[in-house]
Amino acid sequence: MIILKNITKKYSKETVLDITALEIPAGQTFGLVGNNGAGKTTMFSCLLDLIKPSSGKVINNEVEVSSSEEWKSFTSAFLDDTFLIGYLMPEEYFYFIGELRGLKKKEVDEFVNQFEDFFHGEILGGKKYLRDLSKGNQKKVGVIAALLGEPKVVILDEPFANLDPSTQIRLKEILKDLSKNKKTTILVSSHDIQDVTEVCERIVLLEKGKVIKDIVTSPKTLKELESYFKGELL
Amino acid sequence: MSIFGLMLITFLKLKWKSFFRGESVGADITTKIFKWFWIVYFSFIIPALGFLTYQVLEGSLEIEDPFLFINKQLIFAFVYLIVMRYFIQPIPVVSLKPLLLTPILKSQIVRHALGKSIFSFFNLIVFLYLIPLTFVLINKEYDTSQLIGWNLGIIAIVYITNYLNFLLNNNDKLLYSIGVILVSIKLLEYYSIFDFTIYSQSFFYSFYTNPFYSILPWVFLIWLYLYVFKYFKSGLYIDSGLKKKIKEAKMDNFLWLDRFGKTAVFLKNDLRLIKRSKRARSTVFAGIFFLFYGFIFYFQEDILGSSMTFFGYLFASGGFLFMFGSFVPSWDSQYYSLMMCQNIEYKQYIKSKWTLVVIGTIISTVLACFIYSFLGMEAVFAVFAGGLYNIGVNGHLTLWAGAYTKTPVDLDSSKMAFGGKKAINMKTVLISLPQLVLPVFLFWLGNSFYSFSIGCLMVGATGILGILLKEPVFNLIIKAYKSEKYSTLKAYKQN
Repeated sequence: MIILKNITKKYSKETVLDITALEIPAGQTFGLVGNNGAGKTTMFSCLLDLIKPSSGKVINNEVEVSSSEEWKSFTSAFLDDTFLIGYLMPEEYFYFIGELRGLKKKEVDEFVNQFEDFFHGEILGGKKYLRDLSKGNQKKVGVIAALLGEPKVVILDEPFANLDPSTQIRLKEILKDLSKNKKTTILVSSHDIQDVTEVCERIVLLEKGKVIKDIVTSPKTLKELESYFKGELL
Repeated sequence: MSIFGLMLITFLKLKWKSFFRGESVGADITTKIFKWFWIVYFSFIIPALGFLTYQVLEGSLEIEDPFLFINKQLIFAFVYLIVMRYFIQPIPVVSLKPLLLTPILKSQIVRHALGKSIFSFFNLIVFLYLIPLTFVLINKEYDTSQLIGWNLGIIAIVYITNYLNFLLNNNDKLLYSIGVILVSIKLLEYYSIFDFTIYSQSFFYSFYTNPFYSILPWVFLIWLYLYVFKYFKSGLYIDSGLKKKIKEAKMDNFLWLDRFGKTAVFLKNDLRLIKRSKRARSTVFAGIFFLFYGFIFYFQEDILGSSMTFFGYLFASGGFLFMFGSFVPSWDSQYYSLMMCQNIEYKQYIKSKWTLVVIGTIISTVLACFIYSFLGMEAVFAVFAGGLYNIGVNGHLTLWAGAYTKTPVDLDSSKMAFGGKKAINMKTVLISLPQLVLPVFLFWLGNSFYSFSIGCLMVGATGILGILLKEPVFNLIIKAYKSEKYSTLKAYKQN
């Protein structure tokens, strides 16, 4: 279970994140939507102790993230390209992450090979460093690496952006499969409300750092979200 | 106002904004001050060298005709110039991309890029040297008009190396072959099998004996300029000349490193970094240069004193530490958030960096001990003491200063020294003082009150003390890193 208690983040006078209480039970697939600047990435960064909140605490499976490093053993994430090591080959990158998560080379190979279809033959066995891959292919590597070693919590920021349509569909399948076992808590943010409603059981809508809506996904959800974002336009 | 005037103003405005809105304004200002310090330093030292060359060659080294001797050594000077240019002089190619869609003619863009390089530091420095040298030569009754011819020839060759550098860019193989040729010339000369410099000497000297010969390099220079011009103009497409060259990737497993346990995971990556990033590679090369630093002071011991010689020895084993180590953890700046989220404790991460720096220093120390054994046992003893100090004290200090180093490193560019910036702030300067001043002071104490060996012993003992205190010192360092974590992350994001 992940708990956010009175989390705020202020830059000089501007408040970019202000969450009084948010609980994400273990095994939930959690979607975060909102326009640019709504605070999605800031919230994820606070969860990963990359940003120190101005007040409040983040508790990840009973570990307070800013005071202990325990959470690192069961949490993994892919936020942006600062999570990639440009001078490594995809395989080397997977081995690196895998080794840190206590996996043997063979286990990494086995795990990664499942996604051969997702990689579309452009990642494994190629002769390129990560820095020379296209943005979309880089994202594929980052997302799959975040799933290595059966983490209890997986945090993905905008995983669908930059991907071509068929890859988007495959990624949704991968995430749905993962959520079936009910062991992994998956946190996903997106601009695309359709993607999130397809994948997530619960959706939280952020605006200017505040939780505006917190809904359990149902057939009506997409309509509800759409009307909200339309209202924003008017 | 001309279009170039406008461009210049816009460019300066952007530069101003990027400077003052940057994360590390303080560090930037100090860096600028350091840069100007070096420029002023060189603009004094280089003309001074020009004035003194003749006198030193004639006086101290007792060379019969110093001017002939200069011509004999010129070939090495030019090769050195090419190598320095390759590693340091930036090529303004990538920055041309945004100009493509502006209404500026392509030929104008290329002319601008090629023209700008005329005033590069490497060219101006040659003038600073040649002018005083020529005055001295005139004073020594060499013929003025013939000297002008010689100067013109040399300047043409300097600019040939300038434009050659444009073609050499990113071509490691060519560079290495130049290096191999140079070493074989030196070796053949050393074992008196074949003296190439006799020919190169008469070639350069012919510009003096027959000034009209200096037209030849100018003709070649003009041809080369036109060639480079055409080469770049035809390459002004994002899929050809402006495209980053992609090298075919090869896996490196470094299985022999596995004995270091969890640290090995990081060591492997650092080795790959050095192998695959041009920036990291050129930094390590610069560190290798320091191996020979001790000789500079050794040969001037009469003037500078033995404490400075010791300073040189200290640098000999510390090249890797000072050059590569002082950018820890900035080497990881592009993916620092990843490192902060992985299943590894901060302590292990820092330890792996320490191990890397120490391994580098041990290798440098062994090499330096071997190199300086030619100067006698005393020198080896001093180098070894310096090595111990570098491992025991400077390794820790470098890591500690790293906690406050917040300038991201761009791994894909090779800019360094004058072009690149190293984060210098008061904290890092204060921490780095004991790195150089303290050991020299300790040596001076021991040497002036007892003996050379006692001086070395004091430095070496301090180093061993540092090694013994590793654990408590480490805890302090990790505290510093932890408290700086968030601001470091923020600063690195500005890449």
